[in-house]
Amino acid sequence: MRTIQAVFAYTVKEHLRHKAWLSAALFGFVLLAGGLVVSAIAQDERARFMLDLGLSANEIIALVSMIFLTVHLILQEVESRAVYLILSHPVRRSDYLLGRFLGTLLSVGGAMALMGLAHWLVLQLFGGVPLGKYLTAWACSFGKTAVMGALSLLLSLALTSEAAAMAFAVFFWILGHFSAEMRFLAERSGNAAIKTAITAFSHAAPDFAHFNFRDHWHGTQPGEAWILWAGVYVVGYCAACLALSVQVFEQKEF
Amino acid sequence: MNAISFRGAGKTYRRSHLGKTTETVGLSGLDLEIPQGEVFGLLGLNGSGKTTAIKLLMGLHFPTYGEVEVLGHVMPEIDVLARIGYAPEAAYLNRSLTGRENLNLFAALSRIPAAEREERSRSMLAKVGLAHAADKRLSEYSKGMLQRASLAQALIHEPEIVVLDEPVTGLDPLAIKEVRALILWLKSKGKTVLFSSHDISEVERVCDRIGILSGGKLVKVMSQAEWRGKPDALENAFAESVSRTDGVGEIKLD
Repeated sequence: MRTIQAVFAYTVKEHLRHKAWLSAALFGFVLLAGGLVVSAIAQDERARFMLDLGLSANEIIALVSMIFLTVHLILQEVESRAVYLILSHPVRRSDYLLGRFLGTLLSVGGAMALMGLAHWLVLQLFGGVPLGKYLTAWACSFGKTAVMGALSLLLSLALTSEAAAMAFAVFFWILGHFSAEMRFLAERSGNAAIKTAITAFSHAAPDFAHFNFRDHWHGTQPGEAWILWAGVYVVGYCAACLALSVQVFEQKEF
Repeated sequence: MNAISFRGAGKTYRRSHLGKTTETVGLSGLDLEIPQGEVFGLLGLNGSGKTTAIKLLMGLHFPTYGEVEVLGHVMPEIDVLARIGYAPEAAYLNRSLTGRENLNLFAALSRIPAAEREERSRSMLAKVGLAHAADKRLSEYSKGMLQRASLAQALIHEPEIVVLDEPVTGLDPLAIKEVRALILWLKSKGKTVLFSSHDISEVERVCDRIGILSGGKLVKVMSQAEWRGKPDALENAFAESVSRTDGVGEIKLD
């Protein structure tokens, strides 16, 4: 636990000092401010426009930052050989991975929280939104970000190429929005092998249908069970990706 | 008890490219015992297996066959790493952290209680002459300062065994003298020191015994009595024992 804490703390420090990450957060604020100006065009739907734009911007920026950071997280330390010194101390490889992942998740989550706070304050100018609903929407975006972070980390370790890992992460991210469609395709397929392959693929790829709270914003609200299941899905998916990452990382030589 | 034992330890690197697998022998059946309190030098040309032997010892590489035992435990063994200090050939430290933060990190990873870390880091930075630069980021350190910071992280947990991979390579004469003094100081404290080097004159000044590696094989072991007071004895033994295995020819002078 102490090791995880130490790795976690230096990872957060490292990210806070990483200028690329800070500029991503700044970009988020600029986008939100830009949204204020653009929303003036949508006269009747300004509040709705600002809400959707802000939540989308927050989520996209967080996802891009998360994929970028997690893909580089270990590979860069391997390339710079900083990992030599870490692992030549009494550090379990699983503790190192977990500390690095959680540190990155907190850093990106912190940036998301700042962007969310700014957005929520801006929304007050347009009549405001219920805090509970807003927090649920934010948490869903955070859950999506956590899932993509864990998946990107696994891809980076398995593929050992930052470019390939990033490309596959984006591919899975897009695919994650079409899980229901993939399962529908699998059902309609006459070929048993194709059906099995598509079904397996649809379960391996993240299913972002669990986080589509924004789709329900203006309609019937999902119940507590839906939210709880989304939380369970995030923890389960991240745990599975991290367990596989540890398996891959344990085999590596430096 | 032996501090370090290599028992028929070998490492073969396998690389696959386009279906073709090539094998390179990194280390071939190394048998070597280093008793506690001894300063042992590994001598060899580039690619002779010095770093491979050290990486097997530190658990950064896994032996293809044979085993490495440290303080009675077969490596890799996480808990034993708390009793070893390792400084690689270059300072592979996290450049975004300050000198103090780096040492605090390694102190935490080495299981030093939180209450003692700050004081240990402060005194270790003073010991290696970096007290004035404690709060500077390592990205602002010179090469010599980085090397000292690397030595500091290897010693912060007062290890029983100190492993130094080419500790004098690239250092100025004054720094080399200081590293030599450090090795002798470690010996006076009863520590076991294993270090690798190309530099015969350095090795003969501080080592109790040396091992000459060539092409991954231990070709000769000598004790101090065999070279002390005999000019060029070690250099001649080295020249007779080694042969180039890296495919590089001699420089033609005509």
